[in-house]
Amino acid sequence: MNAKPLTSGPSENAVTITRGADGQWHAHHDDVVVGCGYARHRPDGRLFVSIDAWHDATFDRLAETMLAELPAPLYTVVDEADVALTASWRRAGFAIRRREWEYAVPTDPEVTGLDGVLPPPGVTIVPAGQADEILLRAVDRAIRDEVEAAVGWWRTMPAEVIAGVDGDTIVDPSTYAVAAADDRYLGLVRVVTVIRPRIGLVAVRAGEQRRGVARALLAHALGTLHRSGHAEARAEVHESNRAASALFAGVGARPESSNLELVR
Amino acid sequence: MTRIKNVIEVEGKVVECLRSAMFTVELENGHRVLAHISGKMRKHYIRIYLEDRVLVELPPYDLTRGRIVFRYRN
Repeated sequence: MNAKPLTSGPSENAVTITRGADGQWHAHHDDVVVGCGYARHRPDGRLFVSIDAWHDATFDRLAETMLAELPAPLYTVVDEADVALTASWRRAGFAIRRREWEYAVPTDPEVTGLDGVLPPPGVTIVPAGQADEILLRAVDRAIRDEVEAAVGWWRTMPAEVIAGVDGDTIVDPSTYAVAAADDRYLGLVRVVTVIRPRIGLVAVRAGEQRRGVARALLAHALGTLHRSGHAEARAEVHESNRAASALFAGVGARPESSNLELVR
Repeated sequence: MTRIKNVIEVEGKVVECLRSAMFTVELENGHRVLAHISGKMRKHYIRIYLEDRVLVELPPYDLTRGRIVFRYRN
Protein backbone atom coordinates (compact mmCIF):
# COMPACT_ATOMS: atom_id res chain seq x y z
CA MET A 1 0.00 0.00 0.00
CA ASN A 2 2.63 2.47 -0.99
CA ALA A 3 0.41 4.74 -3.00
CA LYS A 4 -1.32 7.62 -1.32
CA PRO A 5 -5.09 7.46 -1.21
CA LEU A 6 -6.30 7.77 -4.75
CA THR A 7 -9.78 9.00 -3.99
CA SER A 8 -11.70 9.37 -0.82
CA GLY A 9 -11.76 5.55 -0.72
CA PRO A 10 -14.01 3.36 1.38
CA SER A 11 -14.57 4.65 4.87
CA GLU A 12 -13.07 2.60 7.64
CA ASN A 13 -16.43 1.43 8.89
CA ALA A 14 -17.60 0.37 5.44
CA VAL A 15 -14.78 -2.14 5.03
CA THR A 16 -15.23 -5.67 6.30
CA ILE A 17 -12.40 -8.16 6.70
CA THR A 18 -12.68 -11.89 6.14
CA ARG A 19 -10.09 -14.57 6.59
CA GLY A 20 -9.68 -16.92 3.68
CA ALA A 21 -7.84 -20.17 3.38
CA ASP A 22 -4.07 -20.52 3.28
CA GLY A 23 -3.04 -17.40 5.16
CA GLN A 24 -5.07 -14.83 3.26
CA TRP A 25 -7.28 -12.00 4.42
CA HIS A 26 -9.60 -10.00 2.21
CA ALA A 27 -10.99 -6.51 2.76
CA HIS A 28 -14.42 -6.01 1.19
CA HIS A 29 -16.37 -2.92 0.39
CA ASP A 30 -19.77 -3.36 -1.24
CA ASP A 31 -18.86 -6.97 -2.09
CA VAL A 32 -15.75 -5.83 -3.86
CA VAL A 33 -12.29 -6.91 -2.69
CA VAL A 34 -10.43 -3.68 -1.95
CA GLY A 35 -7.40 -5.12 -0.20
CA CYS A 36 -5.58 -8.36 0.59
CA GLY A 37 -3.29 -9.52 3.35
CA TYR A 38 -0.99 -12.51 3.24
CA ALA A 39 0.93 -14.45 5.89
CA ARG A 40 3.43 -17.20 5.24
CA HIS A 41 6.11 -18.99 7.23
CA ARG A 42 9.66 -18.91 5.96
CA PRO A 43 11.68 -22.14 6.10
CA ASP A 44 13.42 -20.73 9.18
CA GLY A 45 10.04 -20.67 10.96
CA ARG A 46 9.50 -16.92 10.97
CA LEU A 47 6.10 -15.64 9.93
CA PHE A 48 6.12 -12.90 7.27
CA VAL A 49 3.11 -10.77 6.39
CA SER A 50 2.26 -8.39 3.58
CA ILE A 51 -0.71 -6.20 2.73
CA ASP A 52 -1.85 -4.75 -0.59
CA ALA A 53 -4.53 -2.10 -0.40
CA TRP A 54 -5.23 1.10 -2.25
CA HIS A 55 -6.20 3.11 0.82
CA ASP A 56 -4.67 3.73 4.23
CA ALA A 57 -7.94 2.94 6.00
CA THR A 58 -8.11 -0.46 4.32
CA PHE A 59 -4.47 -1.18 5.11
CA ASP A 60 -5.04 -0.32 8.75
CA ARG A 61 -8.12 -2.51 9.02
CA LEU A 62 -6.32 -5.46 7.46
CA ALA A 63 -3.28 -4.94 9.68
CA GLU A 64 -5.42 -4.69 12.78
CA THR A 65 -7.24 -7.92 11.98
CA MET A 66 -4.16 -9.88 10.97
CA LEU A 67 -2.16 -8.79 13.99
CA ALA A 68 -4.98 -9.82 16.28
CA GLU A 69 -5.21 -13.28 14.70
CA LEU A 70 -1.54 -14.12 14.19
CA PRO A 71 1.09 -15.01 16.78
CA ALA A 72 3.93 -12.59 17.43
CA PRO A 73 6.57 -11.96 16.30
CA LEU A 74 5.54 -11.00 12.78
CA TYR A 75 7.91 -9.81 10.07
CA THR A 76 7.60 -7.90 6.84
CA VAL A 77 9.90 -6.44 4.20
CA VAL A 78 9.79 -2.95 2.68
CA ASP A 79 11.93 -0.92 0.35
CA GLU A 80 13.38 1.84 2.51
CA ALA A 81 12.62 4.36 -0.22
CA ASP A 82 8.95 3.45 0.04
CA VAL A 83 8.22 5.95 2.76
CA ALA A 84 4.44 5.57 2.64
CA LEU A 85 4.47 1.79 3.04
CA THR A 86 7.06 1.97 5.80
CA ALA A 87 4.87 4.52 7.58
CA SER A 88 1.87 2.21 7.25
CA TRP A 89 3.70 -0.64 8.95
CA ARG A 90 5.05 1.68 11.63
CA ARG A 91 1.47 2.75 12.30
CA ALA A 92 0.71 -0.89 12.90
CA GLY A 93 3.49 -1.09 15.47
CA PHE A 94 6.31 -2.54 13.39
CA ALA A 95 9.92 -1.46 13.96
CA ILE A 96 13.13 -1.87 11.96
CA ARG A 97 15.00 -5.06 12.68
CA ARG A 98 17.59 -5.10 9.90
CA ARG A 99 18.69 -3.13 6.85
CA GLU A 100 20.24 -4.65 3.76
CA TRP A 101 21.91 -2.70 0.96
CA GLU A 102 21.57 -3.77 -2.62
CA TYR A 103 24.72 -3.23 -4.63
CA ALA A 104 25.17 -2.97 -8.37
CA VAL A 105 28.46 -4.78 -9.00
CA PRO A 106 30.40 -4.20 -12.21
CA THR A 107 31.91 -7.29 -13.84
CA ASP A 108 34.52 -5.75 -16.14
CA PRO A 109 37.98 -6.59 -14.71
CA GLU A 110 39.25 -3.21 -15.82
CA VAL A 111 36.65 -1.62 -13.56
CA THR A 112 36.78 -4.06 -10.67
CA GLY A 113 40.55 -4.26 -10.59
CA LEU A 114 40.26 -8.02 -10.23
CA ASP A 115 42.10 -8.88 -13.42
CA GLY A 116 44.86 -11.30 -12.54
CA VAL A 117 43.66 -11.86 -8.97
CA LEU A 118 44.57 -15.40 -7.97
CA PRO A 119 43.64 -17.50 -4.95
CA PRO A 120 46.27 -17.87 -2.22
CA PRO A 121 48.86 -20.67 -2.56
CA GLY A 122 47.39 -24.13 -2.16
CA VAL A 123 43.88 -22.97 -3.06
CA THR A 124 42.15 -23.50 -6.39
CA ILE A 125 38.82 -22.20 -7.65
CA VAL A 126 36.41 -24.89 -8.82
CA PRO A 127 33.95 -23.40 -11.34
CA ALA A 128 30.19 -23.59 -10.90
CA GLY A 129 28.79 -26.97 -11.86
CA GLN A 130 32.01 -28.83 -11.08
CA ALA A 131 32.00 -28.80 -7.28
CA ASP A 132 31.81 -32.06 -5.34
CA GLU A 133 28.34 -31.98 -3.82
CA ILE A 134 29.28 -33.62 -0.52
CA LEU A 135 32.16 -31.23 0.09
CA LEU A 136 29.98 -28.32 -1.02
CA ARG A 137 27.26 -29.15 1.48
CA ALA A 138 29.93 -29.61 4.17
CA VAL A 139 31.46 -26.17 3.67
CA ASP A 140 28.03 -24.51 3.46
CA ARG A 141 26.95 -26.14 6.71
CA ALA A 142 30.24 -25.37 8.44
CA ILE A 143 30.14 -21.68 7.50
CA ARG A 144 26.50 -21.31 8.52
CA ASP A 145 27.23 -22.94 11.87
CA GLU A 146 30.24 -20.67 12.40
CA VAL A 147 28.25 -17.53 11.66
CA GLU A 148 25.30 -18.69 13.75
CA ALA A 149 27.60 -19.37 16.71
CA ALA A 150 29.23 -15.96 16.39
CA VAL A 151 27.04 -13.03 15.42
CA GLY A 152 24.02 -14.99 14.20
CA TRP A 153 23.16 -15.71 10.60
CA TRP A 154 20.25 -13.31 10.38
CA ARG A 155 22.31 -10.42 11.71
CA THR A 156 24.90 -10.38 8.98
CA MET A 157 24.03 -12.60 6.06
CA PRO A 158 21.71 -12.03 3.11
CA ALA A 159 18.07 -12.22 4.07
CA GLU A 160 17.09 -14.38 1.14
CA VAL A 161 15.79 -17.70 2.32
CA ILE A 162 15.45 -20.57 -0.09
CA ALA A 163 13.01 -23.33 0.67
CA GLY A 164 14.84 -26.52 1.40
CA VAL A 165 14.15 -29.92 2.86
CA ASP A 166 15.27 -30.48 6.44
CA GLY A 167 17.24 -27.26 6.57
CA ASP A 168 19.15 -28.02 3.38
CA THR A 169 20.33 -24.68 2.01
CA ILE A 170 21.97 -25.99 -1.17
CA VAL A 171 19.02 -26.13 -3.52
CA ASP A 172 20.96 -26.08 -6.77
CA PRO A 173 24.62 -27.19 -6.41
CA SER A 174 25.36 -26.14 -9.99
CA THR A 175 25.14 -22.47 -9.02
CA TYR A 176 28.13 -22.62 -6.66
CA ALA A 177 31.80 -22.09 -7.39
CA VAL A 178 34.11 -23.01 -4.53
CA ALA A 179 37.61 -22.38 -3.23
CA ALA A 180 39.22 -25.76 -2.68
CA ALA A 181 42.17 -26.97 -0.63
CA ASP A 182 43.52 -30.53 -0.86
CA ASP A 183 41.01 -32.13 1.47
CA ARG A 184 38.11 -29.73 1.79
CA TYR A 185 36.43 -26.63 0.49
CA LEU A 186 37.30 -23.32 2.13
CA GLY A 187 34.65 -21.01 0.73
CA LEU A 188 31.91 -20.62 -1.82
CA VAL A 189 30.19 -18.12 -4.07
CA ARG A 190 26.70 -18.58 -5.48
CA VAL A 191 25.57 -16.80 -8.62
CA VAL A 192 22.02 -17.15 -9.89
CA THR A 193 20.87 -15.60 -13.14
CA VAL A 194 17.15 -15.00 -13.48
CA ILE A 195 16.87 -12.23 -16.06
CA ARG A 196 20.07 -10.71 -14.61
CA PRO A 197 22.85 -12.16 -12.45
CA ARG A 198 22.73 -11.98 -8.70
CA ILE A 199 25.46 -12.92 -6.25
CA GLY A 200 23.52 -14.69 -3.55
CA LEU A 201 26.35 -15.54 -1.21
CA VAL A 202 30.13 -15.15 -0.83
CA ALA A 203 31.43 -16.87 2.28
CA VAL A 204 34.66 -18.33 3.64
CA ARG A 205 35.36 -20.56 6.63
CA ALA A 206 36.32 -18.53 9.70
CA GLY A 207 39.84 -19.94 9.89
CA GLU A 208 40.54 -19.16 6.24
CA GLN A 209 39.46 -15.53 6.15
CA ARG A 210 41.75 -12.57 5.44
CA ARG A 211 43.81 -14.61 2.96
CA GLY A 212 42.16 -13.32 -0.20
CA VAL A 213 39.90 -16.34 -0.70
CA ALA A 214 36.69 -14.29 -0.93
CA ARG A 215 38.31 -11.82 -3.31
CA ALA A 216 39.49 -14.69 -5.50
CA LEU A 217 36.01 -16.22 -5.50
CA LEU A 218 34.49 -12.87 -6.43
CA ALA A 219 37.09 -12.35 -9.17
CA HIS A 220 36.20 -15.74 -10.61
CA ALA A 221 32.43 -15.14 -10.44
CA LEU A 222 32.54 -11.65 -11.91
CA GLY A 223 35.05 -12.66 -14.58
CA THR A 224 32.81 -15.53 -15.64
CA LEU A 225 29.81 -13.20 -15.87
CA HIS A 226 31.80 -10.65 -17.85
CA ARG A 227 32.90 -13.26 -20.38
CA SER A 228 29.31 -14.37 -20.81
CA GLY A 229 28.20 -10.83 -21.63
CA HIS A 230 26.84 -9.53 -18.33
CA ALA A 231 28.07 -6.04 -17.49
CA GLU A 232 26.64 -5.96 -14.00
CA ALA A 233 25.51 -8.21 -11.16
CA ARG A 234 23.46 -7.53 -8.04
CA ALA A 235 24.29 -8.38 -4.45
CA GLU A 236 22.71 -7.73 -1.06
CA VAL A 237 24.81 -6.95 1.99
CA HIS A 238 23.64 -6.46 5.54
CA GLU A 239 24.64 -3.01 6.76
CA SER A 240 26.66 -4.37 9.69
CA ASN A 241 28.70 -6.77 7.57
CA ARG A 242 31.75 -4.57 7.14
CA ALA A 243 33.88 -7.25 5.51
CA ALA A 244 31.34 -7.84 2.78
CA SER A 245 30.72 -4.11 2.32
CA ALA A 246 34.46 -3.53 1.95
CA LEU A 247 34.78 -6.43 -0.47
CA PHE A 248 32.09 -5.05 -2.78
CA ALA A 249 33.11 -1.41 -2.39
CA GLY A 250 36.65 -2.44 -3.30
CA VAL A 251 35.53 -3.69 -6.71
CA GLY A 252 33.59 -0.54 -7.54
CA ALA A 253 30.14 -1.76 -6.48
CA ARG A 254 27.68 0.98 -5.59
CA PRO A 255 24.72 0.77 -3.21
CA GLU A 256 21.51 1.46 -5.13
CA SER A 257 18.72 0.71 -2.69
CA SER A 258 18.03 -0.76 0.72
CA ASN A 259 15.51 -3.16 2.14
CA LEU A 260 14.19 -3.02 5.66
CA GLU A 261 13.01 -6.02 7.59
CA LEU A 262 10.40 -4.90 10.10
CA VAL A 263 9.19 -6.80 13.13
CA ARG A 264 6.40 -6.49 15.63
CA MET B 1 -22.07 -14.27 -1.93
CA THR B 2 -19.64 -13.70 -4.75
CA ARG B 3 -16.82 -11.30 -4.06
CA ILE B 4 -15.31 -9.42 -6.96
CA LYS B 5 -11.65 -8.47 -7.04
CA ASN B 6 -12.19 -5.04 -8.47
CA VAL B 7 -9.01 -4.56 -10.48
CA ILE B 8 -7.87 -4.60 -14.09
CA GLU B 9 -4.73 -6.58 -14.91
CA VAL B 10 -2.55 -5.40 -17.77
CA GLU B 11 0.91 -6.37 -19.01
CA GLY B 12 3.52 -3.70 -19.45
CA LYS B 13 7.20 -2.84 -19.44
CA VAL B 14 9.12 -0.84 -16.85
CA VAL B 15 10.42 2.25 -18.62
CA GLU B 16 11.57 4.26 -15.62
CA CYS B 17 12.70 3.48 -12.08
CA LEU B 18 11.81 6.39 -9.83
CA ARG B 19 12.86 7.33 -6.35
CA SER B 20 10.50 6.30 -3.56
CA ALA B 21 10.33 2.75 -4.95
CA MET B 22 7.96 3.69 -7.75
CA PHE B 23 8.13 2.75 -11.41
CA THR B 24 6.75 4.10 -14.64
CA VAL B 25 5.24 1.19 -16.54
CA GLU B 26 4.25 1.47 -20.17
CA LEU B 27 1.22 -0.71 -20.79
CA GLU B 28 0.52 -2.65 -23.96
CA ASN B 29 -1.84 0.06 -25.16
CA GLY B 30 0.85 2.73 -24.80
CA HIS B 31 -0.53 4.29 -21.63
CA ARG B 32 1.89 4.92 -18.80
CA VAL B 33 1.08 4.35 -15.14
CA LEU B 34 2.88 5.06 -11.90
CA ALA B 35 3.25 1.70 -10.15
CA HIS B 36 4.65 0.23 -6.98
CA ILE B 37 5.57 -3.38 -6.15
CA SER B 38 3.00 -5.51 -4.37
CA GLY B 39 3.77 -6.40 -0.78
CA LYS B 40 3.67 -10.07 -1.71
CA MET B 41 6.48 -9.61 -4.24
CA ARG B 42 8.50 -7.49 -1.86
CA LYS B 43 8.17 -10.16 0.81
CA HIS B 44 9.78 -12.63 -1.59
CA TYR B 45 12.62 -10.26 -2.42
CA ILE B 46 11.58 -9.99 -6.05
CA ARG B 47 13.28 -6.98 -7.60
CA ILE B 48 12.07 -4.87 -10.47
CA TYR B 49 14.45 -3.18 -12.89
CA LEU B 50 14.33 -1.14 -16.05
CA GLU B 51 12.83 -2.99 -19.03
CA ASP B 52 11.34 -5.80 -16.96
CA ARG B 53 8.05 -7.13 -18.31
CA VAL B 54 5.47 -7.03 -15.57
CA LEU B 55 1.81 -7.59 -14.82
CA VAL B 56 0.12 -4.55 -13.30
CA GLU B 57 -3.13 -4.28 -11.37
CA LEU B 58 -5.00 -1.04 -11.95
CA PRO B 59 -7.74 0.24 -9.69
CA PRO B 60 -10.81 0.95 -11.81
CA TYR B 61 -11.20 4.40 -10.35
CA ASP B 62 -7.71 5.68 -11.19
CA LEU B 63 -6.06 4.29 -14.30
CA THR B 64 -2.92 6.37 -13.81
CA ARG B 65 -1.71 4.25 -10.91
CA GLY B 66 -0.95 0.59 -10.52
CA ARG B 67 0.53 -2.22 -8.51
CA ILE B 68 3.09 -4.62 -9.99
CA VAL B 69 1.96 -8.11 -9.06
CA PHE B 70 4.15 -10.29 -11.29
CA ARG B 71 7.48 -10.08 -13.09
CA TYR B 72 7.91 -12.16 -16.22
CA ARG B 73 11.13 -14.06 -16.72
CA ASN B 74 11.79 -12.90 -20.27
